[in-house]
Amino acid sequence: MTYFLTQLANGLSYGLILGLIAVGFVIVFTSTGVLNFAHGSVLLSGAYLVASLQGPIGFWAAAAVGVVGAAVLGVLINALLVRNLAEANPGTAAILMLGVDIVLLTELTRRIGNNVLSIGAPWGADVVSVGGITLPTSRVVAAGLAIVVFGLLWFLFARTGAGIAMRAAAADSDTAAMMGVRPSRTGAAGWALAGALAAVAGIFLASFPAPGVAPTLALSSFAAIPAWVLGGFDSVVGAIVSGLIIGVVTALAVGYEAELHFLGRGLGEVVPYAVMILVLLVRPSGLFGRKEAVRV
Amino acid sequence: MSDLIRRGPMVLGLLVALALPLLLDDFWLQTGLFAMASVVGAIGLTLLVGVAGQLSLGHAFFAALGAYTYAWTVGDPAGQEAGLGLPPLVALVLAGVVSAVVGGLFSPISGRLRGIYLGLATIGLVFLARHLMVNLEALTGGFNGRTVEPFSVPGFSFSNAAPDYLAVAGVQFEGLHRLWYLFLGIAVLSAWLGRNLRAGRTGRALANVRDSEVAAAAMGVNVARAKATAFVISSAYAGIAGALMALAYGRIAPDLFGIQLSIDFLVMIVLGGLGSIAGATAGAVFVVALPLVLAQYSSQLPFLAAPGSGGLDAATLARLLYGAAIIAVLLFLRGGLAGAASRIRHRRSAHQRGTGGPPLVPTPSPDPSGATEPPPSQPAVSTRSEEKS
Amino acid sequence: MRNGTRTTLAIAGCCIVALAACSTKDPNASGNGSGGQSDVKAGAGVTDDAITVGMLTDLSGPFAAGAAVQVAETKAYYAQVNKDGGVCDRQVKVDVQDHGYDPQKAVTLYRSMAPNVLALQQVLGGPTSAAVLPLAQADHLYLGGFGWAGNSLKYDNAQIPGTTYSVEAANAIDYLVDELGVKKGDKVGVVYFTGDYGNDSLAGAEYAAEKRGLKIVPQEITPKDTDMSAQASALKKAGASAVILAAAPPQLASLAGVLASQKVNVPVIGHAPTFNPALLDSPAGPALLKNYYAFTSTAPYSSDEPGVKKAVDLYEAAAPKGAKGFEVPLAYAQAELLTDAMKGACEAGNLTPEGVVEAMRKTSDLDLDGLLTTSLDYTDPSQPPTRTVFVSRADADTPGGLKLGETFEGPSGKGYTFK
Repeated sequence: MTYFLTQLANGLSYGLILGLIAVGFVIVFTSTGVLNFAHGSVLLSGAYLVASLQGPIGFWAAAAVGVVGAAVLGVLINALLVRNLAEANPGTAAILMLGVDIVLLTELTRRIGNNVLSIGAPWGADVVSVGGITLPTSRVVAAGLAIVVFGLLWFLFARTGAGIAMRAAAADSDTAAMMGVRPSRTGAAGWALAGALAAVAGIFLASFPAPGVAPTLALSSFAAIPAWVLGGFDSVVGAIVSGLIIGVVTALAVGYEAELHFLGRGLGEVVPYAVMILVLLVRPSGLFGRKEAVRV
Repeated sequence: MSDLIRRGPMVLGLLVALALPLLLDDFWLQTGLFAMASVVGAIGLTLLVGVAGQLSLGHAFFAALGAYTYAWTVGDPAGQEAGLGLPPLVALVLAGVVSAVVGGLFSPISGRLRGIYLGLATIGLVFLARHLMVNLEALTGGFNGRTVEPFSVPGFSFSNAAPDYLAVAGVQFEGLHRLWYLFLGIAVLSAWLGRNLRAGRTGRALANVRDSEVAAAAMGVNVARAKATAFVISSAYAGIAGALMALAYGRIAPDLFGIQLSIDFLVMIVLGGLGSIAGATAGAVFVVALPLVLAQYSSQLPFLAAPGSGGLDAATLARLLYGAAIIAVLLFLRGGLAGAASRIRHRRSAHQRGTGGPPLVPTPSPDPSGATEPPPSQPAVSTRSEEKS
Repeated sequence: MRNGTRTTLAIAGCCIVALAACSTKDPNASGNGSGGQSDVKAGAGVTDDAITVGMLTDLSGPFAAGAAVQVAETKAYYAQVNKDGGVCDRQVKVDVQDHGYDPQKAVTLYRSMAPNVLALQQVLGGPTSAAVLPLAQADHLYLGGFGWAGNSLKYDNAQIPGTTYSVEAANAIDYLVDELGVKKGDKVGVVYFTGDYGNDSLAGAEYAAEKRGLKIVPQEITPKDTDMSAQASALKKAGASAVILAAAPPQLASLAGVLASQKVNVPVIGHAPTFNPALLDSPAGPALLKNYYAFTSTAPYSSDEPGVKKAVDLYEAAAPKGAKGFEVPLAYAQAELLTDAMKGACEAGNLTPEGVVEAMRKTSDLDLDGLLTTSLDYTDPSQPPTRTVFVSRADADTPGGLKLGETFEGPSGKGYTFK
């Protein structure tokens, strides 16, 4: 039982971090219609900033710079590239982001080399033990922070003018524009939010129990894609809930691999996608997706 | 006259492609084989994405299916991995058929999801494929992969054997040379089929679905069925492309069919210009050849740092240039490579005719005579109707 | 329509011309192109005053950093060889190409290199070398240094610098039982990458566990997984008394750290690619210092043996600020192996790719002054040239982070049979 609860806690805390990344996908997609293939390298850029600055200026200041830096990077990508596409449509935008990803990732790989840069967080390799369940402190902090961030996002979208403008633009950009919502502003806000969330996720994904900042960190954004799709592409709540589902299912598949051997080895990698395809077979618009998105 | 202008470059390109093996060394021959295999896959994807408006990131899955189907069908029944020992020609056809059938099985999803949503859903297939390739060892050879028997027709092998020695105009024709013509033939056939498909009834129905599903449904098109059909066709193309890749490699393993391959196919068609067969061809050649050429020749640039010294080395520069090239095409070339080419052609023919056509056309407009192909740039998910067919 | 007819005619005409130029008789069939007047037959990549050897490596992909170290060391090695008069009275040139860990690039670049090199000292990476190996075998081209995976023993042109991952893992199990007090019936976890590297290690561990009465708890991962919490919990639940990790440094840091945080202090064993000295400064550092053992085929950077000393001096002169790691002795050892084979081919009067492979396969007793554990015997392509491994411990004050303990060969390492 303790074992089950440990894996469950592992999965939930990991799932909350996946949720941070998946929400970034959702916000960029709803605000500018872009499938952001460069999300992973934005995440890595933020984490790299933190790791390389934490020595000289301390962890907390570095974390602030990293989060702001990733947000600015997102805004710049949107303003300089996405808005200047020769023809704006989701297909070309997605490929544009692939190009951006190649450039960013190549440069970061060159800078990091084969080092694993320490993120220098104050929680180090500490762990918290409650009733026989041991969880890394970083994961507990991550879970707490993610819940706070999700609360703030709710407040932003439900209670502030800027957030309502973003939602309106996402739901119907033409009507929103007629009502005075500036799509350039909501787009920039979306990219900034997504970049900041990615950097926060990056900090925790580079903290213990993970080793630090290495180029492979950029791949972690791929792990959030099933969560995004499962949640329904355009639903922030869906992304958070699906993040949790994917996190838990993955942790249990790995934890009980010995018992699930008949399904083949290396189950942890395929299970998120298997869950995603199964859900889409039943609900093509995902768990929380708007029906409009797929209406025939 | 317009017929010659239209066909001229194509015929010339074909003649050049026929003659090239006489001049090229192995590096370029191998590059050409990979490029032509990719051309077939890219045409299939551009029919799905550009014509039907459906996005797929599962192309690598169907390529893998085709590759392993081919290897399994021609495989030695007594060999290490299972095989049927059937003739290669049967295997090539089967590669397309099996991929098409599996593409059809996916229709509950491919018929209901639209555009970019389908694209993301199909990512799952690639990871599923990897799991199967690694775990179904008897069939696939597991992570080590399995060897692929060379292609042959009775009396002639597309490898270095049977006949052992073959020369054309003094150039010895080895396996790579012979495969070149096989690949060229299949690529041309795929392009021809793709063109007819796009211009025919099916293509028009798919274009209607892309532009407005409601309007298409009102006109009597079964929307779900049309979308599933497009997916099946594109899967068949991917299967053939996979079989060609298997032949070009000589040995296949799960690592060859990762998500990167799906993404590469998508890059090819978007760079080339969505929906255009010629664009898909140009995009495939660009995506396959550019990194290879950069890798091959960038090391000769004098101003670069030695690898490992921490400076900007040739390999890093090549990768950066590749990324920058993708960005530049998308920012500055409307309609991708095909769009740019048709603009140039348009401009030139306007000059030649000396008629009152606009001298510098900022955006391409369809030739009123209908002789030139319609502008290929159609959004993957569009709500506006621009098609006039 | 007239145009169409004309086109068809033109194409048909071309075909006829091409067919007329066809021939199936080989004008050179009677003899191979001879290598000039000198008494040494010269093949691809050899001129009267130069030899070209190739390195097909990853300078822009995931292994770029380590690969760059090997390129720097190899170039320094041949610069020294050339200063001392070269090989077979010829200067050695190194042709380095970057495949970026992409099999398609690797195959294509191989095609461009094969006609112009005498041998390939290195093709780096699992999927890339798997794609190139069959081609190189068809061309009878010497191919070295793609790691230590056992399935390369299928190829007689492949050189393994030491023993295989499977033999390393089998020796590790022996060492656990004989030296570290692991008892019959205990469980040993194996956390491994899917692929030729990880699965080879697992095969060796499973063989040895059966011989020594242990039980293996396998956990498969991919390079993408850098958080080993779930794997560590599973190993703790199974009660593993040791772990073998056939993965990369990020996984090692995570696994060792999580195990230590759960108060599971058991030996963690890795291969050469598992470790990186930078990990000792990470939060997992203390756990590694306490529990990490490296089982490797090539000597650690800090070894005192003369061969390693030479390699390190050369490297530190060539790249004073370069990263210190197992890549330095490895690259030096591979250059020594290839040079030895080229010299052998020269003496046999057959300086061709086939000649180099033949010379390697005649090497029965080559000693590399402590770069590798024992003297090497390459005469049987189906067996690794040695079965003895280096056992090292993590040490913060040693350059390269690993301190050499001893060389070791156990009964399972000796007896492991290759499928």
